[in-house]
Amino acid sequence: MRRLLLTALLALATGCTQGSVDVPAKPVPLDAQLDPVPNPHGNTDQIDPLPDPEAQGGSVGRAPRRLTVAQLKESIRIAVGMEWDELESRAQSLGRADYALITTENTEPNLVFARFLDDGARKVCIAQAQKDIAQADVTLRTLGRTLPSPMSDLTKLTDAQVGETLVYLSTRFWGAPLAGEELTRYATFFRKAAARAETLKKRDQALAVVCIAMLTDSRFITY
Amino acid sequence: MKKTPQENLSSPERRTFLKAGAGFMGSLLLGGIPFKAVAQATNLAAPDRCFVFVYFSGGWDQLLAFDPRDPAVFTADRVSETRIMPGYNLLTDAAFAQTPVIPKERAGAGPSKIAFGPAIGDPRAANLSDHYDLMTVVRGINMSTLTHEVGYRYFLTGKMPIGSAARGSSTATEIVGQMKPTVPIPSIAQGVESYNDRYGGYANALRVSGLADLVLTLDPPSAARQLDSEIEKSLIDLNGQPITCEEQALTARGVGTAYESSRGQMQTVMENKLSDSFRFQLAANQSVRDFYGLNNQAYPYNSAAGRAAMVATALKKGISQCVSINLAGGLDTHFGTQQTHATNQRAGFNALNLLVTDLRATAHPGGGNFMDHTTILVFSEFARTPTINATGGRDHHLSNSCLLMGAGIKHNQVVGRSGDIGMSPGQVDLRTGANDPNGSNIFPEHIIATVLASAKLDYSITRVDPLRFLLA
Repeated sequence: MRRLLLTALLALATGCTQGSVDVPAKPVPLDAQLDPVPNPHGNTDQIDPLPDPEAQGGSVGRAPRRLTVAQLKESIRIAVGMEWDELESRAQSLGRADYALITTENTEPNLVFARFLDDGARKVCIAQAQKDIAQADVTLRTLGRTLPSPMSDLTKLTDAQVGETLVYLSTRFWGAPLAGEELTRYATFFRKAAARAETLKKRDQALAVVCIAMLTDSRFITY
Repeated sequence: MKKTPQENLSSPERRTFLKAGAGFMGSLLLGGIPFKAVAQATNLAAPDRCFVFVYFSGGWDQLLAFDPRDPAVFTADRVSETRIMPGYNLLTDAAFAQTPVIPKERAGAGPSKIAFGPAIGDPRAANLSDHYDLMTVVRGINMSTLTHEVGYRYFLTGKMPIGSAARGSSTATEIVGQMKPTVPIPSIAQGVESYNDRYGGYANALRVSGLADLVLTLDPPSAARQLDSEIEKSLIDLNGQPITCEEQALTARGVGTAYESSRGQMQTVMENKLSDSFRFQLAANQSVRDFYGLNNQAYPYNSAAGRAAMVATALKKGISQCVSINLAGGLDTHFGTQQTHATNQRAGFNALNLLVTDLRATAHPGGGNFMDHTTILVFSEFARTPTINATGGRDHHLSNSCLLMGAGIKHNQVVGRSGDIGMSPGQVDLRTGANDPNGSNIFPEHIIATVLASAKLDYSITRVDPLRFLLA
């Protein structure tokens, strides 16, 4: 009996020593912490390449969709910096469902949509360009944020300034910066408009026309 | 807003160069006007086939229109037996006949085989029944529903709705979708629903609530929204220039192509100042005001006659191929009087008479007159009960009738019948049109299939054969 008790005490002493001194203690699990899950997709070094666009009708992935009326409203507000106040009155023509007779939002970019969007683009872009031209604080501008203050003769902007403005605006409107030939094209377009606007002493029109062009581009109305 | 990786903007493909070249040549030769716009601007002519869908909203009393009964036969004494009360004696206005109207014989057309109800028009003056030689009346159509939305959408599509939700495309959409007319606004729907379940955006109807909407849509931007003309031109030039890889990726499928096409149409509409055609108050449109009796009305002429003038203008100016229009309302007269219902119907029929007279008197560029090239379907969601209820009105009734007019249809005939007891839908041999107790009911899908077949279009969506005995 005495020998059995001694053996038990010895075993207990050994266990305590191993747990407290020789082996580091397991971290205490936090609430809601789970064990890491192995990557179910296997080895991530070998990702299948996207299919060749040429073999997919010129594109990959899902087909682009037109913005819904609600998305359009927010997109214009964010991109241009002001709301298109007529949008609600034209919402049904632009495709919004009324959930009485029409239960599905129509996202067809039809003639009426193109016509009303063009009209709306002109309204908000002209108004915002006029505001921006008069705004001395560049941080309060949306279209002319990269342009110097005060916004004087736009024909005297350097190529770098024009490029910076166009890249900024295209990123703002489309989420993708202009580059390459298209940037050159837009730069020519802007310079032409700026020269004419300067002659007319209506500098806002140079900014407005770029805004209209980008707002009515298919890249703005699709996602 | 589309987010596309930067690398997609580089490395243009062969197709892009071809497109770019074509776009450049187009902009060089045509001053930046989009190709489609130029093609259409030079081809603004009425389509060879036009269609008008005329809706009488609320459920019409066919005893007053296309399925009359002789009050001398269907007397009040026999109501318990016939369950039919023509009620013509309740029409207190002298402009309404007290018996079915048999139109006067039109020179060279032979006598009318069609009898009309008193609402069709004032027998003392020119009215819609005078055009009997262009008409086919279909009676005893089984609507299978007594719900407004269901009957209405059933007739618009030729397919029984699911619940009250329309199935398939509107007939106008089917027509435009199949024919692809080269007109600026292929389909206009005023006060009528329009559906598109299988065609591109080009087949969508322009839905307007009135003339003002149409003018607003067709108008160029107001002066306050226009930039300097040179800057405007540079904007057009920019839109006509070569496209990038990213744009190509967007326009390769569906939405981008449709959008660019819509912008091209918009440009055409602006350049041709089509909105002025619908400004009936302009001096140039004096003849329209005179013909449709609009001189005592103000813009936007939201009367039945004003709407009829809009239809005629859209077709005659080559702006549209299909126009769907609500010409009469206020017909859901459960509690109204016979006189109220008849007066409301009459307004629609009088406007339709003006429209048909106008189209008949206008030469079509393809030869003949516009009615030779236009098919008109006049319908309502269902009919009203042949008996009058306790409140002096009529309730919903299953058996309906409709009117077909113009191109592709045989004329001066009546097909189908409603029963002499309770006007239940009759049975017809669908191959010959003869009344046949062992035959079948005529349903809206038969009418829609017939309209499509009248222009040799695919009617398979209706899943029935057209009424071939109606086809010219």
